[in-house]
Amino acid sequence: MSMPVDERDISAQGVRAILAVTTALAAPFDLITMLAEVVKAAKQVLGADRGSVWLYDAATDELVLEVATGIQPVRVRAGTGLAGTCARSRAIINVPDCYADPRFDPSVDRSSGYRTRCMLTLPLIDHKDVLVGVMQVLNKRAGVFDQDDEVLATALAAQCAVALQRVRMTEAVLEGEKLRQELETARVVQMSTLPATMPAVGGYDVYGTFMPAALTGGDTFDLAMLGSSLLVVLADATGHGIAPALSVTQMHAMLRIAFRLGADLETAFLHVNNQLAATLAEDRFITAFIGVLDPAVHRIRFHSGGQGPILRFDAAKGVCDVYKPTSFPLGAMPLASMKPAVNVDLRPGDVVLLLSDGIYEYCNSQGEEFGVARVEQLVAANHRLPAAGLSRVLLHAIAEFAAGAPQEDDITIVIVKREGMAAASHAEFVRDFACLPAIFAFTADFFSREAVPAALLSAVDFALEELFTNMVKYSPSGSPTVAVDIAVIPGGVTVSITDRDVEPFDVTRAAAVDVNLPLEQRRPGGLGLHLVRHLVEDLDYAYAPDTRSSRITFRKTVGGPSAGGTGDGAGRQSVLD
Amino acid sequence: MFSIDLAAPGVAAVSGRLDASQAGAAQAFLDRVAGVVTLDCSRLDYISSAGLGVLLRTQKRLVAASGKLRLAGVNPHLLDILTYSGFDQIFEIEPAT
Repeated sequence: MSMPVDERDISAQGVRAILAVTTALAAPFDLITMLAEVVKAAKQVLGADRGSVWLYDAATDELVLEVATGIQPVRVRAGTGLAGTCARSRAIINVPDCYADPRFDPSVDRSSGYRTRCMLTLPLIDHKDVLVGVMQVLNKRAGVFDQDDEVLATALAAQCAVALQRVRMTEAVLEGEKLRQELETARVVQMSTLPATMPAVGGYDVYGTFMPAALTGGDTFDLAMLGSSLLVVLADATGHGIAPALSVTQMHAMLRIAFRLGADLETAFLHVNNQLAATLAEDRFITAFIGVLDPAVHRIRFHSGGQGPILRFDAAKGVCDVYKPTSFPLGAMPLASMKPAVNVDLRPGDVVLLLSDGIYEYCNSQGEEFGVARVEQLVAANHRLPAAGLSRVLLHAIAEFAAGAPQEDDITIVIVKREGMAAASHAEFVRDFACLPAIFAFTADFFSREAVPAALLSAVDFALEELFTNMVKYSPSGSPTVAVDIAVIPGGVTVSITDRDVEPFDVTRAAAVDVNLPLEQRRPGGLGLHLVRHLVEDLDYAYAPDTRSSRITFRKTVGGPSAGGTGDGAGRQSVLD
Repeated sequence: MFSIDLAAPGVAAVSGRLDASQAGAAQAFLDRVAGVVTLDCSRLDYISSAGLGVLLRTQKRLVAASGKLRLAGVNPHLLDILTYSGFDQIFEIEPAT
């Protein structure tokens, strides 16, 4: 070759030929059509009799020739033969007499009966310098390929490379979309088996929720009545993609049928396990908690195949007991017999929590797992919430912990909570100072019964006394009794005191007291409300004109101001602000 | 239950809950003390503004006669209330040990 290819000009005729095929190359959206279009363009522009396009497979470092639909493609290692040499060198190869070139493989000719005379082999390199494939054009109709043909072929190859790469990327996107749609369908099936509504169980508050991860995961849960008992299930199939969603849906259905046919817990567990062991792929299994609650005797009996930890919040002790799985995951191997089920007795306020490992193993951006300890702390602090509320608190805490780190696995929460004694009380007190001991007995009893921290009691009593005595003193013509309501909230109590048939008087707007006056100028008046504002939180006044009632509400919580600690004079300063 | 008694010469001991329903009894007792008096609060569980009013009136009367009321054995809750009231500026206070 006398001159580098890219320094020679393309003839006007050549430019027209390339422009003519460029439009054709813009149209196809599938690879087979595009390959045919590229070959057609090459034949047309270069006046060749035949052509072929090899695609480069970077994963195997091979060139792949799509022969015809339904026939295995021909593969050649990069570096071997004319096409392979071209792929490696990324340089055009012009062979005027193929049978004189040792790199030429005549076996293709032998099998097809065609005789290859001359051949131009050129690399297809896209605009990002990525090798897309190799194009070969055979047997120029008049003579052999010359240097002008090489120039023309190089310009054409660039167009073809970009067009091919576009189609390959489009196909990859479409393939991903197809996979996504299949996964979506599997998810719909998986979700359709979940309980649509939570069953009503007397004396219990039960709740389950499922948050699928984007791509993988195979969680499920069930909360369903079996006669007067409640079936409680949480399961998690191993693996990625569609398979776990389908496996766990299958297990869910098997369990429902087993119980519908009257199987007891052991029989259902054993047979579902053995069926899964027979049908699941070797490397697949399902961790599952399967329990039955008898609400009449407040007992859950359960088996857990590899699903744990299982948490039971003990309301009396204020801590979580942790139960381990009772056996290996379902489907891992057949079971000949069962160990006895584990019994958990539930006392008022106790909560059983089943959480999938998508929660315990949720990682933040530092790679730290959410873990069991966080869950236990959250449950201890929020166990009084309804089951759905507790679930929301957990999910919220996970989201805060994650701080944007993606959800890698399904998240499932199942909560079975035995309702406690009334966590709220109401009482009426006659409008008389003599009722103060009765009010204090009422609060003390409530604090003791609901295990509210005792350190909060004095401040609650103080506020109630000040507000009550105010009502007694200043509204003597009000209703005969004053109502007091107290309820448990996270970390403490909320209290309200209601006076009816009275004129409005907003205690929260009472004038500030100067507590720095010398002794002779000090007056006791106003001190009570001043202190109330410092000892409790969120003091609020509301007046209802229709009942002419004043309601004062406040909260007292651990962590609020002056929870029984020592004063440091800060409050004194703030009065004068 | 609330009670207030002379424990020793110059020392009165108060116990239980000094609320609005007991303020009258407390005031009646303290109206009879004179000179420098220590009020032992170590068994006083609770005080309200009515109780503070009793202490304030007593202090004014004693100080006017060159005496005073000292508060001893004051628990953290009482100390909070006394401090928020500015009473730590007008009473000698000895916290509970």
